[in-house]
Amino acid sequence: MRYTPSRRAALALAVSLAATAALAACGSGGGDASGELTKDPVTLRFTWWGSDARHQRTQQVIDLFQKAHPNITVKGEFKDWNGYWDSLATTVAANDAPDIIQMDELYLASYAERGALLDLGTASKYLPTADFDPNALGTGQIGGKQYALPVGLSTYAVVVNTDLLAQYNIPVPDDATWTWDDLKTIGGQISKASGGKVTGVQSWGFDAGGVNIWARQAGASLYDDKGDVAIPPQVLAAYWQYLADLAKDGVAPAPSVSIERAGAGLDQSGTATNTSVFATWWNTQLTSLAKASGKNLKLLRLPGEAQTAGAYYKPSMFWSVSSRSKHPAESALFVDFLANSQQAADILLTDRGVPANTKIRAAITPKLTATDKAAAEFLDSVKVSKPPRVTPNGASGIEAILKRYTEEVLFGRMTPQQAAEKFIAELQAEIKAA
Amino acid sequence: MTALSELQRLRASRGGSARKRDNKAAFLFLLPWFAGLLLITAGPIVMSFGLGFTDYNLIEAPQFNGLDNFERMLTDERLHHALGVTFTYVLVSVPLQLACALGLALLLDRGLRGMSFYRSAFYLPSLLGSSVAIAVLWRQIFGAEGMVNQVLDLIGVQGRGWISDPDTALSTLVVLNVWTFGAPMVIFLAGLRQIPVMYYEAASVDGAPRWMQFRKITLPLLSPIIFFNLVLQIIHAFQSFTQAFVVSGGSGGPSDSTLFYTLYLYQRGFNNFDMGYASALAWLLLVIIGAFTAVNFWAAKHWVFYDD
Repeated sequence: MRYTPSRRAALALAVSLAATAALAACGSGGGDASGELTKDPVTLRFTWWGSDARHQRTQQVIDLFQKAHPNITVKGEFKDWNGYWDSLATTVAANDAPDIIQMDELYLASYAERGALLDLGTASKYLPTADFDPNALGTGQIGGKQYALPVGLSTYAVVVNTDLLAQYNIPVPDDATWTWDDLKTIGGQISKASGGKVTGVQSWGFDAGGVNIWARQAGASLYDDKGDVAIPPQVLAAYWQYLADLAKDGVAPAPSVSIERAGAGLDQSGTATNTSVFATWWNTQLTSLAKASGKNLKLLRLPGEAQTAGAYYKPSMFWSVSSRSKHPAESALFVDFLANSQQAADILLTDRGVPANTKIRAAITPKLTATDKAAAEFLDSVKVSKPPRVTPNGASGIEAILKRYTEEVLFGRMTPQQAAEKFIAELQAEIKAA
Repeated sequence: MTALSELQRLRASRGGSARKRDNKAAFLFLLPWFAGLLLITAGPIVMSFGLGFTDYNLIEAPQFNGLDNFERMLTDERLHHALGVTFTYVLVSVPLQLACALGLALLLDRGLRGMSFYRSAFYLPSLLGSSVAIAVLWRQIFGAEGMVNQVLDLIGVQGRGWISDPDTALSTLVVLNVWTFGAPMVIFLAGLRQIPVMYYEAASVDGAPRWMQFRKITLPLLSPIIFFNLVLQIIHAFQSFTQAFVVSGGSGGPSDSTLFYTLYLYQRGFNNFDMGYASALAWLLLVIIGAFTAVNFWAAKHWVFYDD
């Protein structure tokens, strides 16, 4: 075979330029939602992730909206969390993005900074946001533009199974004062009392919430304001050391069990199956957990909060509109119905978090079930400070990276210090590349 | 209906124009496949070649970046790790799978009663093997509370979470691939049928033991079939995706122990908004598979025996 690099390079260049030209057409964005509403029939596509219960409730809200606006049809497209993001990325790439998008904090900057989302500020005519707490609204802004409207708020918490605690004659710890060492000690007592059948603590280290709080309690933060990784390696190493110790001392299940559960979803977690007494969750997951476990569960503030508070309100999710929507005004109108209407709120309740719309929040409180009410009261009782910076563009994969290094540490393939250094380098590289 | 009558008409008519019309009908029937090939396969392939030289985040227009993606491969630790995992998987699972396939083909070739039943029964896993359903089943079987551990429990052995332990996760995928030995087995069976019985008769008369007959008659005469299966299964194994994706929940975990090349490619493209690099990776995989196949063909000169 004769090697002719120049000709090959030329071909490669030609082909890639052709592809670039062909794709350049998809790049434009930046719609405007200040136009008039149309009277013609319009079809909007609306996509979200979630459980079956959420799908049913959301469909009811869609039906109500369609009744009020007979010329608008809303087509729901729903998926589970993992498939959702793969499919959103491909539909956006294919210039076929749904009009209304349920968005998460992890991906917000990745989509907004690349021009895929509509500035909802242009839609204020149809989508007023006066009833939202300004701090909550801020979580959906990037560069001063409102790319996303927060739906609900949640906060990181410890869920404790009080029935199991009573069974082992251990009092519920005082969450106003407890420390991480207390959690380890009490957890160890439970594992011992149950003979290992029930572990004191369910291991975590698979979601960004845990690491965010840990960093904040140490007076640091995961990212700095510029969007670079800012957590000091030794802080992160201490986090993994703690998790590794829990597994080693039998306070948490063996690593392979923890990892299997983390991948299996809420219904097969230690909390839901009554095989772990303490576990970290978002407060709004209490209802689903209580339903699955059938026991009395209680929300506690995280250990260490009395020393340095790290708690914050995380928007559970957002509403966004695609910048390439052909019907931005009608899409904004639908988001308005989701976010501001009492009718919709009566159906959705706290399924997507305790509503960030304060008026709606007050209105639905009397209608909540016991566990939903407990979650809402817990949210109000937690002392929070300014929320962390939105996950920077490029870092949307943080949970996959975090999970991988947690596995390396739990299986003893890396020391916590090594994992911390590699994690920081890898995450920073992803942000830089974006 | 029209296609049927067309066929009947073709069959009835003989003479010079029949062949031409035959061709026309063939093209007509090929058209859907051909259109699919162009639009669904060839188009994206050409496109991905171009994208391999760009920085493309799926949302904004791709930016030409020359050979950056290929340079990046040299220092990409996860890529090197994925290559290691994939090579291990291919080099372990393919020989095992072919050995199982050959062994069972030899057994079935001896004229068992209910042979067609066994043949179907053993072939079935090949049809199911790369399906999502089987991968989900695999998760259950090898889970911490799965069937394997229940059986081990009965004989007093302490099991573990096979798919959630980085030391064993890849092995469960190897077992899954070996289990789909049905397709090469059927091809082996066909090959065994082609070997004239008289060779074995002559060898028996000369007093050659069974093992000798296998080595001196079966293996050489079957070598073209073995070669065929080897090439096919290696290519197939390099392209494995579904099993690892489902069993690891898309992560390639635990600890990247099941990070197949294709899975890493997928993650870069769809999870990390890194489609330019993913496209370049796809072309590297093509080169790797091509190289393996070329080496296979080269080596074949030395061990494949054509009896003609």
